[in-house]
Amino acid sequence: MKQPDSLKALITQLTAPSEEATSSDREQEEDTLYNFGFIDEDSKREVRRKLLKAVAIPGHLVPFASRDLPVAKGWGTGGLQITLALVKPDDTLKVIDQGDDDSVNAVNLRRFIQKTTNLQVTTDTLEATIVQTRHRVPEEPLGEDQILVLQVPMADPLRWVEPSIERSTEMHAEADYAPIWVYMYESVVRSGDVDISSQYPVMVEERYLMDTTPAPRYDVPALHMSKTLYLYGAGREKRIYAIPPYSRVAPLEFEDYPFKTEQKPGQACEKCGSTATYLTQHYIEAKSVDGTASHSATNGTEGYWAFFCSDTSYCNKRKKVI
Amino acid sequence: MSDNSSKWVLRASNLARRYGSGCPYCTTLTGPDHDTNQCQVCGTVIACSGISFDLGEAETLGIVGESGSGKSTVMQLVNLSNPADTGELWYRSLGTSNAEPINLLALDKFARRVFRNQQLGIVHQRPELGLNMNFTVGGNVAEKLLMAGWRNVGQIRQRASELMQLTELPPSRLDDDPHTFSGGMLQRVQISKALSSNPAVLLLDEVTTGLDLSVQARVLDLIKRLQWELRIAMLVVSHDLGVIKQLASRTVVLKNGQMVEHGLTDQILEDPQHPYTQLLVSSTL
Repeated sequence: MKQPDSLKALITQLTAPSEEATSSDREQEEDTLYNFGFIDEDSKREVRRKLLKAVAIPGHLVPFASRDLPVAKGWGTGGLQITLALVKPDDTLKVIDQGDDDSVNAVNLRRFIQKTTNLQVTTDTLEATIVQTRHRVPEEPLGEDQILVLQVPMADPLRWVEPSIERSTEMHAEADYAPIWVYMYESVVRSGDVDISSQYPVMVEERYLMDTTPAPRYDVPALHMSKTLYLYGAGREKRIYAIPPYSRVAPLEFEDYPFKTEQKPGQACEKCGSTATYLTQHYIEAKSVDGTASHSATNGTEGYWAFFCSDTSYCNKRKKVI
Repeated sequence: MSDNSSKWVLRASNLARRYGSGCPYCTTLTGPDHDTNQCQVCGTVIACSGISFDLGEAETLGIVGESGSGKSTVMQLVNLSNPADTGELWYRSLGTSNAEPINLLALDKFARRVFRNQQLGIVHQRPELGLNMNFTVGGNVAEKLLMAGWRNVGQIRQRASELMQLTELPPSRLDDDPHTFSGGMLQRVQISKALSSNPAVLLLDEVTTGLDLSVQARVLDLIKRLQWELRIAMLVVSHDLGVIKQLASRTVVLKNGQMVEHGLTDQILEDPQHPYTQLLVSSTL
């Protein structure tokens, strides 16, 4: 059966490969593909509204409508939603993961935010207006005009002692924090000291018990009376909380077992020599035996353990100055 | 009702608790006269109503009745863990002179929790209701102390050891898992925990139920000794008239959520007036 010319033309139009798009067309398409900051304006408004509530009630867990993002939940979607809801075109962004600007998570999130906002990005803490971080507070003191956004895997510190969300919400409402104290008492009995290495529980403004994310204990004192606004987002658990500037933040401690940070005397960064930063331990492999090795093998092993600053940008900055 | 009106610590007045929406017929169609506490019209359960009593200084008041009579509900209302629909619950501190009574049911949730922690101690029938089985025995005893603001591990352990000695538990087992304790020992741990904050009132909810006779006798001996040594006011709930006879000086008998008789324990056991009380006494093994 012969097809009419108009139908043939239509089929050709539908089945023919599309014309090669020019690069400017592609850019235009990419520009219009996403809203500024990927999520829609209503969702941003929802996040901002909940952020205001979180700031008004320091340390209080505020439920929010966590949106789906092209990042798996548990990989920083809470912090990402806060950042995307807050950024303006003139902001400068820094993204770190465990203090490192170049780790996979930091690079991916930075690339995603940059692609959907076209923001200026930096690795210098002092240049950034918004710092999104996973589990570290930058070494350089942040100012009043900066915001630190933290990605949170487990928002409620009572989860350690109370599996029921309903019950733990009641406990927060009534400031019933005895079970977490018993948990700490038990850790002293079990190991001779409070054995909470990260995610150390703190009291905010002497009212709400708050999780400090898996940040090391070293970072806990930085939260007290800080000039900077700290915003915490847990995308998977759909909770937001905040520490407004100049808030009192006190770690839980016993009179005879006071709060201590991890730093030990004598430890120094292998690169910059710093003794006053949070250090992580790395194994340095010995280089080849052609005489160019900067580190010789010690004690018959092929390498050695060394400490380095966790905050890589600060370490590099110090190294340049030195 | 009061035999101790000048020195009461706790005064309940017309306490009531219902489960359901209620209807105009609830009060007339429930109670001992109808032999049910469920309204036949709307299905509402009147767990208790019209409960009034005074608990005097260093006095032990027994509440007795069969299963479903409302004993445990009354205990929950007094423990402030279950809100009353109507009525008043007054507390008067006898330690301070000219202390004004406070209506506990008018307190907000936070104040109730603080009061419950500091002035009330409760021992449940089932240890897992009163203890956190994931914590050590010492941790359980320490909980009320930590809630009261104790922040010195050494002092907490010292106090917990003293309480374990007081309740005839070996202090060497302070850091043991409660799962390794027998039923009678767990009741002692609960008593240690309840006494840790020096409460004004100790609530005992079927403390000997489920224990074998020799262990029951030891727990009752312990409670009697604590009555004598600490001179603490106690509210004892039990379906066992033997327990009530041993511990309580005055007794309230409940049936279908309402009080059918009250008076001195001896009087109630020797000369019961209400047919239900007569049935209870006559059915004692």
